[in-house]
Amino acid sequence: MSNHQSTRTTVLDPTAEQRPAKRERTARPESLAGLTVGLLDISKPRGDVFLDRVEERLTALGAKVARYAKPTFTKPAPVDLRHEIAIQCDAVIEALAD
Amino acid sequence: MHDIDDLERRGVPGVFVASDTFTDAAAIQAEGLGLDVAGVFVAHPIQDRTDDEMATLADDAIEALLAALTGS
Amino acid sequence: MVRMLEGTTRSADEVVALIPPNLVECTVEKVAVNAVMAGCRPEYLPVVLTAVEAICSDEFNMHGVLATTMSVGPVLVVNGPIAASIGMNSGINVLGHGNRANATIGRAVQLVIRNIGGGAPGGIDRATLGHVGKQGFCFAEDEDASPWNSLSEERGFDRTQSTVTAFCGEGPSLVIDQLSRSPESLTRSLAASLRTTISPRVVTGMDAMLVISPEHMARYRDAGWDRTRFLAELDEHLMFDTDEIIVGADGIEDGLPPGLAGHRLPKFRPGGLLVVHAGGSAGLFSAIIGGWLNGPAGSDPVTREITP
Repeated sequence: MSNHQSTRTTVLDPTAEQRPAKRERTARPESLAGLTVGLLDISKPRGDVFLDRVEERLTALGAKVARYAKPTFTKPAPVDLRHEIAIQCDAVIEALAD
Repeated sequence: MHDIDDLERRGVPGVFVASDTFTDAAAIQAEGLGLDVAGVFVAHPIQDRTDDEMATLADDAIEALLAALTGS
Repeated sequence: MVRMLEGTTRSADEVVALIPPNLVECTVEKVAVNAVMAGCRPEYLPVVLTAVEAICSDEFNMHGVLATTMSVGPVLVVNGPIAASIGMNSGINVLGHGNRANATIGRAVQLVIRNIGGGAPGGIDRATLGHVGKQGFCFAEDEDASPWNSLSEERGFDRTQSTVTAFCGEGPSLVIDQLSRSPESLTRSLAASLRTTISPRVVTGMDAMLVISPEHMARYRDAGWDRTRFLAELDEHLMFDTDEIIVGADGIEDGLPPGLAGHRLPKFRPGGLLVVHAGGSAGLFSAIIGGWLNGPAGSDPVTREITP
């Protein structure tokens, strides 16, 4: 920002100049058997049909399934919904963006 | 992806499913979020698929979804 | 850059908004850097700052607007005294090129999304086709020559206030009617074009903006029609029998879901058509700017007062 020396050129960066800290994925369980898996429907057409089948497959593998839906696919899920999923689920699958 | 990123921050392993036209967008968004968010990509398009075709897409994706959510 | 920051009374480190898609805190200074890159003069900066606030509101939902594959972006309409004081164009070629303020304010807003938010075309911006207005789309309403209240007044502000209205829109489409002499005829004519906006089979779920040119507006002024009368008459010609636009009707597989058969629905939700007066004084044309998903699931128009 400073340009009080007339001969000095300051180059300004139009970007955020922030690189988010790299984080690792949270630890995974060995298996989903006996765990609760949240299925989060982003509410785009056809995603529910996809998740219906995923539910069948997960149930067959011994996992419990809890279903959720975002009010709209165009925005991140409301914080209350994310909180609910975090409390109730051991893992989550979100579908289906196209 | 913001949702999965948030849930991972809360300690819940997560994976998103998108059609394969979004592979590069997902990579860019992951860079912006700072987390290599787990994603599984299925064949585009989605909107005009029949129920049977959607079930097949899910069957084809299930192994990748399990791998993304479990330690292996 | 120092001169650019003198265009506003806000301090350089004030946070303006969280910019999607990366939800990055954006300061007045960062907006100013992008305004310089866009070619703005310092006096445009308050408009750019307010526009950034407007599109980053939850109602406008810039994240969704950016990520959609549809051809939409922010369309910015400036009302009030600031439009004239910074030399904005509301007349000839109003939706086109050639005016520095119109061209660079919209451009600066787009650069903020791209450079600060990380929303680059081909990255998070997934538009299948896009439109040239995504370079920047900003114009002023011709309030002085309009017989009607302005867009800004219609949205709850008064004429002494300067505002920017952000609308999520596609490129403008021309409506030609060079023969209508009566307001009744012209209204039917405009309605016929509005019925096909986005798709003839899209009803209530998407908004639109209608830019009425001075010569078309003269038909309404001469007949003594105000905005309320115009919209009421227009609505009568914007009703659809859902059976005609349902899935499969006329051999077209796209359309409303079968469950909506047997209803009558309006093309636009109440308040879903924004009407603005602008354009050159000669030419019996108006323009339609189609919108995107409206309501909480999509984008609602947002009007904000521009402060120094």
